[in-house]
Order: sequence, then C-alpha cells, then structure tokens
Amino acid sequence: MKQTLVTGNEAAAWGARLVRAKYIPNFPITPQTECIETLARWSADGELPGTYFDRMESEHSVMSAAVGAAAVGSRVFTATSSQGLLLMHEVLYIAAGMRLPIVMATISRGLSAPVTLWSDHNDFLDQRDSGWLMFHAENNQEVLDMVLQAYRIAEDPRVLLPAMVNMDGYVLSFTDEPIIIPSPEQVEEFLPEYDPAHTIAKNRPVTVGPPVLDEYSIFRAQNHVASRNALTVIEEVQDDFEKIFGRRYHLVDEFMLEDAELVLVTQGSMSTTAKAAILEMRDEGIKVGLLRLRIIRPWPNEAVARALKDAKAIAVVDRNVAPGKGGIMFPEIIETLFNLNKRPIVSGFVVGLGGNPQTESKVKEITNKLMDDLAAGRPRMEWNDLEEI
Amino acid sequence: MQEFKSLKDIPEQDYFTGGSSACAGCGPSLGLKLALKVLGPDTIIINSAGCMTLLPLYPNTPLKASWIHNAIENAASTAAGARHGLDNMGNEDMNVVVYAGDGATYDIGFASLSAAAAKNERIIYICYNNQSYGNTGFQWSTATPYGSETKTTPRGKENPTGTNIVNKDMLKIMGAHRVYAATASLAYPVDFLNKLSRAKERDGFSYIELLGACTAGWNYDPRLTIKISKLAVRCGMWPLYEIEHGMLNLNKDFSELKPIDEFLKMQGRYRALPPDGVDRLQALINEHWAELKEYNKQRYV
Repeated sequence: MKQTLVTGNEAAAWGARLVRAKYIPNFPITPQTECIETLARWSADGELPGTYFDRMESEHSVMSAAVGAAAVGSRVFTATSSQGLLLMHEVLYIAAGMRLPIVMATISRGLSAPVTLWSDHNDFLDQRDSGWLMFHAENNQEVLDMVLQAYRIAEDPRVLLPAMVNMDGYVLSFTDEPIIIPSPEQVEEFLPEYDPAHTIAKNRPVTVGPPVLDEYSIFRAQNHVASRNALTVIEEVQDDFEKIFGRRYHLVDEFMLEDAELVLVTQGSMSTTAKAAILEMRDEGIKVGLLRLRIIRPWPNEAVARALKDAKAIAVVDRNVAPGKGGIMFPEIIETLFNLNKRPIVSGFVVGLGGNPQTESKVKEITNKLMDDLAAGRPRMEWNDLEEI
Repeated sequence: MQEFKSLKDIPEQDYFTGGSSACAGCGPSLGLKLALKVLGPDTIIINSAGCMTLLPLYPNTPLKASWIHNAIENAASTAAGARHGLDNMGNEDMNVVVYAGDGATYDIGFASLSAAAAKNERIIYICYNNQSYGNTGFQWSTATPYGSETKTTPRGKENPTGTNIVNKDMLKIMGAHRVYAATASLAYPVDFLNKLSRAKERDGFSYIELLGACTAGWNYDPRLTIKISKLAVRCGMWPLYEIEHGMLNLNKDFSELKPIDEFLKMQGRYRALPPDGVDRLQALINEHWAELKEYNKQRYV
C-alpha cells in the first residue's frame, strides 16, 4: 500500500478533508497552526468543495461557531491546542450538553505559566469532565484513522456527542511519518453524509440550550449514558474500520502483556519509545509489557481491568500533573483495579512535562524502579524528570 | 423590501405568544415580539445569556421560531456558524438574528461581535440595550449612561454621581465596521420594523440597537415603558439614526430637544443625582445631538 510522508497536523487535516467536513472555524496557535494552514491552502485551491473555511478571532469563537453550525446540522471540524483549548473550555461543556457531534483535533502543549511550546497532556486532560469523547493517538496514522472513526462514533444516534482526537505537539504535529491516506471512496463507504435528526431546519423550529429546572440532572445523566453507549459503538466502528481499511484498533492498546509481571501504562507518542525500550528489556529477560490508554472518555473500565488483571506491579506514567495530587490518570487506574481479587502494586510517575523527552533509558529507569517497588512491596509516587523536588 | 408606512401596516400575526416569564412592561420582550412580526418563524434567534434567556424554559417556549442560547460572550460567533451551516444545508432563506443585551454586546461579547461585523456575515444583530447587566439585578456595563445608579455603581458619599463613566458610542463603533448600524425605539415601531426589514434584505451584517426600557432596573411603573421610550428619543437621550457606508441619517429630527429632567424624574435610577451631575448629563446629550445634526446626511465615520 502506498505510503505518504505527512506530519500529525497534516494527518488531522487529511481526516477533515476525507470526512467532507462542511464547516471549519479556526484560529491559529502553535503547534496546531499547520493543520489549519493546510486546510486553508486546500480551500483556496478548491480542494474542499462545499466546505466553508471560517477564520475566527479567538478559540472561544471557534467553538461557539462550531456549536452554531452543528446545531443546524453541519458536519464540523476544527483544531486547537493548549491555551486555545482552555479558552474554549466553557463552550466545550455547552457543545456536549447540546449533543452536537463536532470533531476537533487537539494538539497537546503544556500550559502557561511559564510559557512552553512543547508537549504535555495537561491541556487535553483538563477537558476530561466536559462530556466530550476523548481519544489520544500514538502516531500520525492513528491521528488520521481516529478522526475518521470519531465522526462515525460522534454522529451515531446512540451517542451524539462531540469528540476530541489528541496528538502530542511537535513529536507528532511537526514530525513526518509515512502513513496510508485512504481513498475518498473508502471513506465515503465508511462514513456517509451526516443525516441529522434533531437539528434546526426550515419549518422545524427547535429550541437549543434553554434553561431547565428540576430536569437538569436528567440531561446530565443522558450525557453520561450516551458516553457509556459510545463504548459499544467504538467497538462496532473498529470492526467496520478494519473491514474497509484493514487496520485494527482496540479499546486499549496492549503490548506484550500476555505474560507481563511489570506493566507500564502510557498515553500518546511516548508509548512508541516505551515499546522500543520494552523490546530491549525483554531481550534481557525482564517480563515487562505496556498498556496504552487511547480511549480516555468514555473510560473503558473492563478493557483496562482485563488487560491489567495479571500484572504484579504497574507504573502509571503520566505526562501531566495535578499539583497537590500527582498524575491525573494514576487515580483512574487505581480505581479501575480496586475491585480486582488480587490487587497489584501501582506506582505513579510524572514525566515529560513541557516536552521533556521520554527516552528509552528513562523508560528503563522507571521499569527498574518498579521492580524495586515490587520487591519492597511498596508503591511510589515520583516526579521522574527531576532528581529531587 | 417590505415597507411599513403606519401602525396599521404592522402584521397581526405573532410568533412570540403568551407564557413568557418576563416582567410586566419588559421592553426587550416587546422588542422581540415586534421583530418576529417582520422576521417570521423561519428565523433562528441567537441569544446571549441575559434576561431574554429565560423566555424559553424547558419544556415550554413562548416562541414560534428557533432559538439557540450558547453563552454570554459568543452570540455573534454562534450566529456566524449557524449562518454558514444553514447556507450549507440549503436553508439560505432562513434568518439568523442575534438578540443580545448590552453587557453581552458592548463588553464581554465585543470581540465576537466586531469580528462578525468586520467579516460582514449575513446576520441581523439586535442589541436590546437596557443600559446595564439587567438579569443579574442591574449592574454597570459600558452602556450604562452617565449619572445612572446601578448595583455596582451605587451613589455614596465618595461618589454621588453613581456611574461617572461615559457610555461607549457603540453606533459609531459599529458604523466604522462598514456595516448597516441603526438605533431603534419601542415608541417608534414603524421605524424599528422598517429598519429590520431593510436589514433582512441586506447581503451582509446589520446592527440594530433597541433601547430596551427596563421597568425593574430603571425603577419605573411598568405602564410607562412606551412613554419613557418616547421621552428618551424626544430628549435626545436615545436619538434615532442610522449609519450606512459611513453616512449618517438622522431618522427623527427635532428643532428642539426636551430637557432631560422629566425623563430623569420618572426613574428611580436617577433619583438623587446631584444637580451638577444632571448638568453634565445634559451637556453630554447636547454635545451628541449637535454632532448628529452637524453630520446628518454626511460622512460620519
């Protein structure tokens, strides 16, 4: 199959092009800008027929315009990053509450202050409770594939929720990788035109976003149920995706877990580095494997628990931090394992903030520490980038 | 273009029916009721958080048109998205109309409004100006006139004037965006509806600012909404004019303005405004009126 060299930003743009997004409100921010510049170029060259490329004056307005267009039935794509994602925060909850299947590529970058342009996952995970579906890609192929899948999942009548597809800034967004760009015909077969059932149209007046009284909790519950429904839909979509495109995805990405005593839990592009380190450690006879979290919301409880049930010690490697607490995903893993008959030791490592590179040697260091924790029978919570804090 | 010559021409058909939770005598509600007579049911009203947000209350609505309430600062951007979405779905003939308060327009939503106007989006933006953050109980906005007391500009020993900041000249600002910008009054419905009718036919952005008399905040007898609205125009507090292609057109010209006193006396918000405050307010009004007279039928911005 022919492969093309594209950056993560371009992969996301290809996703938007192939799904025939009708409305693309946008605002530039490093390291996302190339994604919307790519779409701007295609739009100017007539490569996006029927698509309106709309330059807004802020990310808040980008998401607001996305809501307006989705409320009248348009298929909407946008992308942002970091501070921009935080500026959208208010409207993200509104988009989810209105059940609008907007898809957005988020390109992770650490948050100010101090200013950093480099990647960590605090911007993305800050949106964890917004009601959006949240997917995190490991490489550029997955970025493109997840944008295609995100629309199928988001637009499913059992779901009708907006979805984010996250990639790590720079490491993916500005790095060329060879990927397969599917044909428009394949994508059309996988994802037909959006046929909205509940949107505003002529002779169909609809009230969107009114106040409620006692019913508030019902609407929040529906948002929750829709997100849980997405777990089933994601699995169906993954099956269909494999049939048409030949690439297989699962709710969680399991790497050498079958006989693993030690398991690293990771997210995003650092997983690729960790997998390489694991292959080397395996050669040394260390029984280590990896679980990559790729579906963050809805949380794939059973899949995570099943993948981790035989581990003796687990290192949750968080490229983010909740100051005063620790890694954000650490407690999510603990909670998922709490009801297992045999609980493993779970250590937490905060790593790679502001783009601090996660090298293979660092992955090995974490694994060695985890071995010590297993031997000592005592977990740790550690800021792995620093000698001491 | 649909033209209205007298009150008799105003359509009887209502798309804003009974069952709203607005105050008796609410100016902004009456404004929307009138506007929908021109705009009709194939309209999406994009609302900013404010008094009008409480018109629909799940599962009921007094409106026979579509409605989107997003947040407070993003009505113009939401409207731009809805406009392009409708155009894309083959619903080009539907109207997209923002109905937003002055706080949402002058202050927190100004960036979004300015961008939509600069891009000349095909939207009618109606600002119902009650000269305050009304829904939260009457606090100061940059539309609050000099001398008005609000909950966040209370009169006190240190500040007897109350609001001692002069409100933004929003019409001029919007006129400078090279769009159609006009003021309107509930006491002059024919003028208001003709402006709306004109905005509806325009292939671009229109900004109409309606003085939305607020019985609770301005503190007056609800029966007086129209009377106060009329006085505001007659005393130059709320002149009726429009700006298009930078040219000014004064819609209601008077050889002489009524003094401000009667208008002030009818409202609790101006109670206890010291005489020098009244003089300063009168001077501001005179200055603005003189400017409008000077530039009438000429390039203004």
